[in-house]
Amino acid sequence: MAKARGTDGSLLSSLPWTLASLALALLPHILFLPAWITAAFLGCGIWRYLIEQRRAALPSAWLRAPLALLCFLGVYFVYGTISGVGPGSALLAIMASLKLLEARKRRDQFVLLFIAIFLVMAALLREQYLWSLPYLLAALLFITTAWIRISAKPSESVHRSFATGARLLLYAAPLAIAMWVFFPRIATPFWAIPIDMSSGVSGLGDTMSPGDISSLSLSNAVAFRVRFESAVPAPRERYWRGLVMHHFNGRTWSGSDPSVGLRAARQVEVRGEPVKYQVTMEPTHQQWVYALDMPYRWTLERTFMGRQQELARVFPIDQRIAYEIESYTDYRAEAQLNRFANAAYVALPEGSNPRTVELAQQMRSAAGSDGAYIDALLAKFHNEEFYYTLQPPPLGSNPVDRFLFESQRGFCEHYASAFGVMMRAVDIPARIVLGYQGGELNPVGDYMIVRQSDAHAWVEVWFEGRGWVRVDPTAAVAPERIELGIASSLFDGIGMEWGLAAPSLLLHQLQLSWDALNAGWNDWVLGYGPDKQNDFMRMLGMDDPSWRKMMLTLVTMVIGLILLVSAGLTIRYRPPVRDRAAILYQRFVRKTGIDIGIGEAPDAFASRVGDASRCGANTINDITDTYLEARYGSTDPAALQRLEEQVGTMR
Amino acid sequence: MSSIRWPYPNVAGIVRNIASIAPRTRAAAASRVKNWARKRQGVDPDHIQLTAGRTYILPTGVGFIYGLMSFAMLLGSMNYNNNLSFVLTFFLIGLGFVAMHQCQRNIVCLEVSFAGVEPVFAGQAAQFRIAVTNHSKNPRFRIRLYVDATVSDIHDLEPGESQVFVIPVASDRRGWVRLERFGIRTLFPFELFRSWAWLHMDIRGLIYPKPLEVVAEPPATQIALGHRQHDARGEEDFAGLRRFIVGDSPRNVAWKAYARSGQLLSKQFAGADTSSQWFDFNAFDGDDVEVRLSTLARWIVDADRTREDYGLKMPGEDIPPSHGEAHRHRCLEALALFGLGDDRG
Repeated sequence: MAKARGTDGSLLSSLPWTLASLALALLPHILFLPAWITAAFLGCGIWRYLIEQRRAALPSAWLRAPLALLCFLGVYFVYGTISGVGPGSALLAIMASLKLLEARKRRDQFVLLFIAIFLVMAALLREQYLWSLPYLLAALLFITTAWIRISAKPSESVHRSFATGARLLLYAAPLAIAMWVFFPRIATPFWAIPIDMSSGVSGLGDTMSPGDISSLSLSNAVAFRVRFESAVPAPRERYWRGLVMHHFNGRTWSGSDPSVGLRAARQVEVRGEPVKYQVTMEPTHQQWVYALDMPYRWTLERTFMGRQQELARVFPIDQRIAYEIESYTDYRAEAQLNRFANAAYVALPEGSNPRTVELAQQMRSAAGSDGAYIDALLAKFHNEEFYYTLQPPPLGSNPVDRFLFESQRGFCEHYASAFGVMMRAVDIPARIVLGYQGGELNPVGDYMIVRQSDAHAWVEVWFEGRGWVRVDPTAAVAPERIELGIASSLFDGIGMEWGLAAPSLLLHQLQLSWDALNAGWNDWVLGYGPDKQNDFMRMLGMDDPSWRKMMLTLVTMVIGLILLVSAGLTIRYRPPVRDRAAILYQRFVRKTGIDIGIGEAPDAFASRVGDASRCGANTINDITDTYLEARYGSTDPAALQRLEEQVGTMR
Repeated sequence: MSSIRWPYPNVAGIVRNIASIAPRTRAAAASRVKNWARKRQGVDPDHIQLTAGRTYILPTGVGFIYGLMSFAMLLGSMNYNNNLSFVLTFFLIGLGFVAMHQCQRNIVCLEVSFAGVEPVFAGQAAQFRIAVTNHSKNPRFRIRLYVDATVSDIHDLEPGESQVFVIPVASDRRGWVRLERFGIRTLFPFELFRSWAWLHMDIRGLIYPKPLEVVAEPPATQIALGHRQHDARGEEDFAGLRRFIVGDSPRNVAWKAYARSGQLLSKQFAGADTSSQWFDFNAFDGDDVEVRLSTLARWIVDADRTREDYGLKMPGEDIPPSHGEAHRHRCLEALALFGLGDDRG
């Protein structure tokens, strides 16, 4: 038993490379995996290497089996499931660690390399950055080197294994590129497996409770990028619609429902020219699809407009997606509201925020009309001591009362919430829209960046016949944002360019260039989907691209490239053409009428043939000498010439 | 309970039946394929350069798993529409194609030639020596020769390098042992594919009859023919060293030389013979032919070991008394081929 577990050091030449491949494959997962898994892998790797180095015995099954059980239970305990990229990569790491402890034969390492490949793929599913491509190529180089070393003789130099692996990868590259370009992309997945949710993407919440948040952290992370085909809308038009909330319980707004899908044309009438643009959106793990207020036509599959004109996809956006949209800034949404809807949009919980309700009713009767009332309210925010701050004090019960009459400090959510309540208090239907406002034009790539820090909340008010009208109470307060430091205050500014806040113009320029590079990468590599592929095929001259045509091109190209590789290998591996002297010598041997033995030296042959030949020993010896001179002696072409003549005249 | 009949077919039994048929079918198919290749290629000369047309290739088990893995990764990439994982998947698929061609090219254009086989006694394995030469400018990796399940060592061949591969072939009977078919194969580069070529050279090795273990002394009726070249004291003059061959006495092995060079050498002596005798095939009564041959083989080996002169009388052929390696071989060959109606190759 102990003998079967013994090692003999035969893995020493390949094991370090197998371990390095696994480590490289695991590297992008480390931040997402529980620390004990990384520690287990490192421990097992070092342990296994020391075992091989000392030719010790592998741990017994009695030790491995409980260890395996413990690890698998650990994964289940941490994740509560075993499907998805997170638990999947954890399981792969565990499997690799345990397999290491029982890998005795050379070929057991193949399993480890397969695990490494799956880990690399899991890393790519989790995140796709600009460096992901170099990372993936580096991982492949390590894996192929390890692979070559597994079957190479132990004394083979690392340099040679690496060169062999790299050469094979180089041959495979054109095949890979051809397949990548021409393999038909499909738009919808076959099945949905949750991609890891812990990757920490910030986005908008599904609810809004302004009183609960005492500090809004602003992230510079990109929410989405926009490339306009038509004219770029003016800053005051840059409202990116997200979700819409109609239900208010006195503290919290909620009630956006993406489940009811309708077509935009049934809810919205549009006028004027559309704004045409393309959005590349970062994953949010939510269903909301952001679009300029008000979206009308879009290319994204299985995406519908909700009952409150919020755009949502049927399944969450777990990956970066790109879509084309047409929006109209001049629109009329829901000209008519039925009784039940109207009641829902004016509902306020009984007895909450009483002072706000009282103030609203006073102001409404003083104003005389709904329009005048709204103007008066905005003027109140503008003229009175209301401050814009990202660090508002927490508000207790009746947060709207506390905000309007006591703190008078807040950010967009506070103003939107207060404004909404003031509308509802006098039976004007109102709702809150969460989305983004603004966006920075990047001159480097000629597109607009919308960041998480551009997140914004505003109000929509409904008028009979006019439908929903956008009102942004924060805009009324914005000019007086004096409590803020200049850098952070500008993040949420209306129409202010983020660039002014950057510490240095040069640094900002670099950031913009880097972002442009990323955007191009996202557009052309990561976002190479059905539409882009269609465009590209047309660019290549394929009319009316279909998956059949692309498959045909793909197969043709792959076969052509394989033939090319094969031809290249044939040339590389062919034996050298025999030189003229050897051919002449062969003719001479035939003319003697005597067979030459395999490996028989010309001298030996000459002395054996000697006088037996018709032409005599002298001729034989002469020709043999000339041949040796021509083939092995000087590089003088005269010798070859002489041989030619001698063999020619020989009878 | 037992009266209730299981209404479904006996799946386990069917699977077992199929499984039991499978190895037989496989063996039958394999031999058919081999015969087809033999017919197609004909008999090869002793010296041949492998062409692409006679090089076959199939995926290995690892190759099948690799294919399945690539397919699974393709489905995954399609499902997530993840372009980077497409890159990884297509690289792996491309690598598979490249590995296939590289694997075949790794043995094509190699020169294979027969490099002889030492005669052995029945029961020992004949060591067929096959030289493989790489005339191209690129190294060839992990080449191995094989006959059925018997394999040679694995060698890499640098440009211009020649390596001798040894294939042991077991032989129970005296006479010729033929190596009708042997293969050359490689798994390089990734062990995803196995590429091989079959060679059908007309090569054979001589098998001497197995010397009987226990045997009577040679009949004392033999006449000394006066080949004695030295005085009666039997003083032996050391004449030199030669390569150890099976059957040499351990007493004559030059152990000091072995310790120095690691090579087994036998001491040769001149004038060691003290008597000459004839071993006569017809001097036995009643014994079976094979027993006679084995007995004669034993006597020859022993006589050679004690450096006596000996002659061999076979029906139709007399080999006059002499000694030395060539003589020993001549006598043993006569025994090996006796009655086989075969020419002496």
